[in-house]
Amino acid sequence: MSFRLRLSLLFVATLVAVQIFTALLIYGVARRAFIAEGERQLSAGASAVVRQLDDISTRVADNVQVLALDYALRAAIAQHDQSTVLSALRNHGRRIGAERMLLIGLDGAIRSDTSNAVAEGQKFPFPDLADAALDRPAAAVVAMDGKAYWMIVVPVYAPEPIALIAAGIPVDNSLLARLQQLSALPNTIELITDVGAGRWTDVARGNESVELASALTAAGHSLPLQPTLVRADGREYVALAKRLRESQQSAPVALVLGYSIDDALQPYRSVALAWASLVALGLAAGLIGAMLIARSVAHPIETLAATVHRVESGDYTAPSPVRAGGEIGQLAAAFTNMTHAIAEREEHIRHQALHDAVTGLPNRQAAEAAIREAITGVAGANGALLMVGLARLPEIIQTMGHSICDRVMHDAGARLRQFAGRGLVARATDGQFSVWLDGTGKADAIAMAFRILDALGVPYQESDLSIDTAPAIGIALCPQHGSEASALLRRSEVALIAALDSADPVAVYDPTTDPHRPERLTLMTDLREALDRNELRLHYQPKLNLADLHIDSVEALVRWNHPQRGSVPPETFIALAEKTGNIRRLTRWVLASSIAQAQEWAARGHLVRVAVNLSARDLDDAELPRRIGDLLSLHGVSPRSIVLELTESAVMGEPELAVQVLKRLADLGIDLAIDDFGVGQSSFAYLRRLPVREIKIDRLFTQRLGEDAGDRTLVRSIVELGHRLGYRVTAEGVETRAAIEYLRDIGCDHAQGFYIARALAADAVERLFTRSEWDVTRAGANI
Amino acid sequence: MMRTIQFGMAMLLALTLPAEAGELIVTLEDGHGGAASDAVVSLYEDGDAEPVPQRASMVRIIDQRAETFIPYVEIFRPGDQVVFRNSDRTRHHVYSFAAAKSFEFVIAPGDSSPPVTLDRVGEISVGCNIHDQMITHLYVSDAPWVARSDVDGRADFTGLPAGTYQVEVWHPQLRPGRPAPRQTIVVNDAPAHVTFSLPLLSDPRQTGDRSRY
Repeated sequence: MSFRLRLSLLFVATLVAVQIFTALLIYGVARRAFIAEGERQLSAGASAVVRQLDDISTRVADNVQVLALDYALRAAIAQHDQSTVLSALRNHGRRIGAERMLLIGLDGAIRSDTSNAVAEGQKFPFPDLADAALDRPAAAVVAMDGKAYWMIVVPVYAPEPIALIAAGIPVDNSLLARLQQLSALPNTIELITDVGAGRWTDVARGNESVELASALTAAGHSLPLQPTLVRADGREYVALAKRLRESQQSAPVALVLGYSIDDALQPYRSVALAWASLVALGLAAGLIGAMLIARSVAHPIETLAATVHRVESGDYTAPSPVRAGGEIGQLAAAFTNMTHAIAEREEHIRHQALHDAVTGLPNRQAAEAAIREAITGVAGANGALLMVGLARLPEIIQTMGHSICDRVMHDAGARLRQFAGRGLVARATDGQFSVWLDGTGKADAIAMAFRILDALGVPYQESDLSIDTAPAIGIALCPQHGSEASALLRRSEVALIAALDSADPVAVYDPTTDPHRPERLTLMTDLREALDRNELRLHYQPKLNLADLHIDSVEALVRWNHPQRGSVPPETFIALAEKTGNIRRLTRWVLASSIAQAQEWAARGHLVRVAVNLSARDLDDAELPRRIGDLLSLHGVSPRSIVLELTESAVMGEPELAVQVLKRLADLGIDLAIDDFGVGQSSFAYLRRLPVREIKIDRLFTQRLGEDAGDRTLVRSIVELGHRLGYRVTAEGVETRAAIEYLRDIGCDHAQGFYIARALAADAVERLFTRSEWDVTRAGANI
Repeated sequence: MMRTIQFGMAMLLALTLPAEAGELIVTLEDGHGGAASDAVVSLYEDGDAEPVPQRASMVRIIDQRAETFIPYVEIFRPGDQVVFRNSDRTRHHVYSFAAAKSFEFVIAPGDSSPPVTLDRVGEISVGCNIHDQMITHLYVSDAPWVARSDVDGRADFTGLPAGTYQVEVWHPQLRPGRPAPRQTIVVNDAPAHVTFSLPLLSDPRQTGDRSRY
C-alpha cells in the first residue's frame, strides 16, 4: 500500500469513526432526553386532559341538572305521565347531546329509557351513581356495550327528590380528538377498558392513535400508571394511563396517553439528514484534502525515490526539481547536492583510475581500453602502436632521484603529445609511453617514430641540468602483430626492448625473435606437473678414463619427453626453469634420481661417479649442502660417488654465499667440477679460492683439436696447468678419434663426447661399464 | 290524667305544668355532630291506645319572606287548612305534586292564596317554580303524639302515660325511599331519653345552585 493511500485512509477512518461515535452519542442522549421529555409532557398532559374531561362532565352534569328542573318534566314525572316523560327525556337528551336518557325511581328501578333497551322495572346498573346523585350530581365514565359513556345522574326535585335522571353521553373518538386539539399535545390518546383477564381494549381513540391497548396487552404490561416505554406498530412510545372517575359497577376505564419518541425525533430527522450530508461532504472534502496533502508529501518523496534509483544505476543527471517547502524541500536540496558531489567524486576517481598523476596522460588501462575500442569489432581495422622508452631512465633515477625522473617524464609526455599529432598518447609503464596511431600503416608509423625521436632527442633542461634521455621506440602493427589491445601492447614492448638493445633506436616487432611467447608459461606449468608425475628421465653420458680406457664416471643429463610436444630440448626448459624459479625443484629431482641410481649401480658392483649439474640459482640455496648430505646418507652412497658441476658464470655471481655453499659441499667430501671452462671470465686465480677438484674444458676448444694447432696448444696448456694446480681435467665435446688420441697424448684425465657415447638411458650406459676395450679408431661406434 | 293534649299545647304544658306522668326527651343529631332541627317526631303507644281526641280544624299560614317559605316544616292534622302568603315583592309560583294534595298558585306580592284544606295524611312538599331554593313541607299527621324538633334538635314529650312507645322520625332531608327511622322506648316515672342520628342530605334551601358538587 502506498504511503499516500495509507495516509488518506488514516484520515478518513479517523473522521468516520469520530462521526459515527458522535452520531451514536447524540442519538443516545437525544433519545434519553426525549423519553424524559415524553414522561414530563405525559404527566402534565394527562393531568390536564383528566381535568378537562372533568370540566366537561361537570358542564354536562349542569346541563342535565338544569333539564331536571324543567317544570313540565317534573310535573309529568310527579304525575306519572309516562309518555310525556319519555318524549321530554328524548327532547332534552338531544339538547345536551346525550345518546340515552333514563328515568330512575328512588328505589333504583328504571322507569323510562329512551333507548328502549331496558324493560321497565329493571334495576339501574350503576346504583352507586344513583345513590351519590342525591348528595350532588354524579358523573362517571362507564363502559357499556363496547362504548364509553359519561353517565350523569341527577335527582328530580318536586321540590323534594322524586326520581333520578341518568344521561348517557358518549365519550367517542371525536371527543377525544377535540380534547387532543385542545391540549395541543402530539400525543396518542386512547380510552381503554378492561375486558377481563388483564386484557385491555380500546373503546375510543383520538386522531393518529395506535393500538396502545393491544400493545399493552401483548407486552403483558399492567396499566402504566407511571410513564412506561411501550412498542406499538414498530414504534416506541412512552405510555401513561390515568384512571377516570368511574362507577364501581362498571368495568375499569382508563385514559392512556402515548408519546411517540419517533415523532418527537421527527423534526430532528431533517437535522440528522443535514448532518449526514455535512458528514458526507466533509468526508469527501477531507478525502480530497488528505489526498492533496498526502500528494504534496508523497509526490516529492516518490520523485526522490525515483532519482535515488537513477543514481544507484549510475545516472547522475540532475534530479527533477522537487517543488516542496519545509523538510521535504530541504531533503531534496541536500539530495541534489549529494548527487552532484558523488558525480564529481566518481568523475575524479574515474580520471585517477584512467590517468597518470605525473604526466596527466591516460594510463595503460585507459590506453588499452581506447585501443580495444578502436579495433574490436571493426572490420579491417588497422593501426600502429608505438612504445616509447627512455633508455637512460633507470640511470636517472639512481643518480638524481624520482622527482627529477617525474619531471623528465612530464616533459617527455608534453613533447609527445605535441608531436604525436592525432595519436593517442598514454603512459604505459613507469618508463614507457605508448602512442596509438589509428589507421596508420607500417611506413607512416616508422616515420612518426622518427619524428618522435627527434622531439625527445633534445635534452631535458632544468636550471643547470641537461639530461639526455636516449629514447627508443618499438612498433607493433595491427592486425599483423595482433588484433587485441593487450597483445599489441606486449609486442610493442618486446620490440622496444629489442630497440633498446640494438643500435637502431626504432624496431618493429619480429615474432621470430620474441622470447616472450605465451607458450613458455604453459611449458613451465607442464614442467611442474612433469616433476610431480615423475615424467622426466635422466640420461647419462659416460666419461672415458683415458688412462685405463674404462668408463668410471657419467654426467647425468635430464630429458623431458612432453606428452604433446614430444622431446623438449633441455636448454629450453632449463633456462626457463632458471628464470621462473623452478630450477631448485628440478635440481633436487635430478640429485635424488642420480644418487638413487648411483646406489643402484653400486649395489651391482659398478663404482661409477655420477656428475650432476648445478645452476647458479642452486648456489643461493644455503640448504643445499644439508639436503645433499641427507640424500647421500638416505641411499647409503659415498660422497665420492658424486661430482657437482658448475658453470663459470654460476660461481661469478653472488660469490660470498656461493663460496660458502661450495665449501660446505666440499666439506661433505663431494668433488666439484667447473663446467665449460675457458669460455667465461673465470681464471685460475679465481678458481684457486674455490674448493674445485676438476675442470671441464669447453667443447669450443676440443671440437677442432684435429686440425687447429692453436686449440691444441691451448688445451695442452690448460691440461698441464690444471694438473700442476691439482685439478683433474676432462675434455668435453670429443667427437673425433684425432681429438681423443691427442688428449691421451697430453695426459688429459677424461674424455666425454659423441665419439665415446652420447647420453644414454641408465640400463644402456650400464652395459658400457664393463667394456674394457675401446676402439679409439672408430668414431661413434662405441654405442 | 289528661291524655288528649293538643300537640301545640303539649310542649307548653310540659314546660309549665308538673308532669303528672312520664316524660320523653328525643334528641336529634344530623350525623355530623350538629343538631337536626325541623324533624317531625311521632309517638305511637303499643297496645290498646285510647283514641286521641280530635281538636278543631284550624288555618295555618305559610309565609313567603325573602324568597323563603316560613316555616320550613309545619305539622298539620287532617282537616286543617293552609294559606300561602306572599310577603315578598316578587311573584311566587307555589306548587305541589304531592299525592296527599297537589295545587298550584301564582301569588302576586302581598297576596295570599285561598285556603287549602289538607284532609289526607301525608307529607306535602311545596316549592316555588320561580325560586328553586324555596321549599316547605306540610306534614299532615294523625299520630297520637307528634312534635317538631327545635333548633337544638330536641323534641320533648310530657305527661305521657307509662308504657311502651314507638318513636318515629321524619325529616325532609332524609334519604328518600328508605324506611323511616324508628325506635321503641319504655316511658315510666323517670324521663326517658331517645337519640336519633339522622344521615341528612344537604339542605336544599341553602344551596342556591343545586348542580354544585
